[in-house]
Amino acid sequence: MVHTFRCLDRFFALDVESGSVFEIDELTKELIDGYGTPLDETKGVLSCYSKREIDEARGEIEELIAEHILFTPEAEHKPPAYGGIVKSLCLNVSHNCSLRCEYCFADGGSYNTERLNMDKKVAFAAIDFLIERSGTRRNLEVDFFGGEPLLNMGVVRDTVAYARSFEKSRGKNFRFTITTNAYNLTDEDIDFFNKEMYNVVLSIDGRKEVHNRVRKTASGKDSYDEIVANALRFRAKRGDRQYYIRGTYTALNKDFSRDVLALNDLGFDQISIEPVVLPQSHRLAIKKEDIPFLTEQYEILAREYIERRKTDKWFNFFHFMIDISGGPCETKRLVGCGAGNEYLAIAPSGNIYPCHQFDGKPDYVIGNVLDGTFDDTLPRKFASVNLLTKRGCCDCWAKYYCSGGCAANSVNFCGDVFAPYTITCELMKKRVECAIAIHSIERKNKVFSKN
Amino acid sequence: MKHIEVIAKSTICRESGSGCGECQSSCQSACKTSCTVGNQSCEQKKTNNIFKESK
Repeated sequence: MVHTFRCLDRFFALDVESGSVFEIDELTKELIDGYGTPLDETKGVLSCYSKREIDEARGEIEELIAEHILFTPEAEHKPPAYGGIVKSLCLNVSHNCSLRCEYCFADGGSYNTERLNMDKKVAFAAIDFLIERSGTRRNLEVDFFGGEPLLNMGVVRDTVAYARSFEKSRGKNFRFTITTNAYNLTDEDIDFFNKEMYNVVLSIDGRKEVHNRVRKTASGKDSYDEIVANALRFRAKRGDRQYYIRGTYTALNKDFSRDVLALNDLGFDQISIEPVVLPQSHRLAIKKEDIPFLTEQYEILAREYIERRKTDKWFNFFHFMIDISGGPCETKRLVGCGAGNEYLAIAPSGNIYPCHQFDGKPDYVIGNVLDGTFDDTLPRKFASVNLLTKRGCCDCWAKYYCSGGCAANSVNFCGDVFAPYTITCELMKKRVECAIAIHSIERKNKVFSKN
Repeated sequence: MKHIEVIAKSTICRESGSGCGECQSSCQSACKTSCTVGNQSCEQKKTNNIFKESK
């Protein structure tokens, strides 16, 4: 399968099975699109070119086919069987939150349960569970999430120390991450993050008015000024260690490219803005009819992105960072996020869920880290979700970049973990196209990330 | 080539020994609601460093 497309006023071809990428001219796009079918050279785009030019382009296509980097046949896939290995946990250390964001999938952090904090006993049992279930995996990940993890920092600190105490004896390397709204972020927290956190994700939605409209405090006040001040203090101390400013765009700010740029204008250089995921009936939900406008936004952002990356406003946009020259192996691309299988979430009660978005859903309780129960029925089911089994993904040109998408979105909005959530499919495809175009242009401009 | 410029060749790694599982789960990197796998790094290659070399 070959996907050709136009992006940023250029033409590109992606050979899906090999992952090879080409910048092509319009003539070649036409020839690739019609490859294997009789083409009338006197009509359409082809009529603008001489016979010699058409033959020349055809010769180049044949050369790449002979090199096995164009029209590469579909590979035989062998997705890994369920092995019962867990390498990554999301600890919902607090079911409380300092904010009440209007679009929160967790109902203001509570996940429709009691506003409990996780106690140390549960958090330690979760670490024990992870170590025991991780087999020979060395790198283990723990994300402190919520609700708002800053509301339970004592347990976060103790859990990090507890896990670190096993690194040497058990041959493990813990990578801690934390996802926070930064509203109550102190200098002490920042220093702790910079010492212990492999990645820190701070939530800001972009422009002040956009953020304040949907991210109110629990008492209904605006939160932007406090959060931005805290995040800038964090950024100043973070150096070159991984972090993201992560925002959400909704139906109220479909011109989200302006929010990304507003975050960059504040001085942030690692930015991710994601489409909101809500039922179609919600006033903030992204609808199918919004997709053309939103895809145009990604292209607008891509143009400005390229320009800013030549200046002192250089920044990364998470979804444009696709590594065209490498990236993850085929196995990872087949199995995707690993939710319900290698990646699980733990609630304050100790309940184990397929991922953070399933917290509080009684039908998705896998077990409990306190009583040691673990029913592998759901993990086996989630492990069987991959590019070969998720409906329609096998025939999609973007399959090796999105890997079937978010399992929770499939369940929440399609009622079936094997059904892709098609609204995000279209946005994903546009982001991949932009990423390829950006890579190609920057390759010529010699603006690279550090390799 | 006049009509085609090769930007990247054969980037889907199918080498034996791949699939070690040591890489970061995509949901832990930033998204939490919108899985992207293509922008993750291979733990063995670590090619997708996020910071610019000289700022």
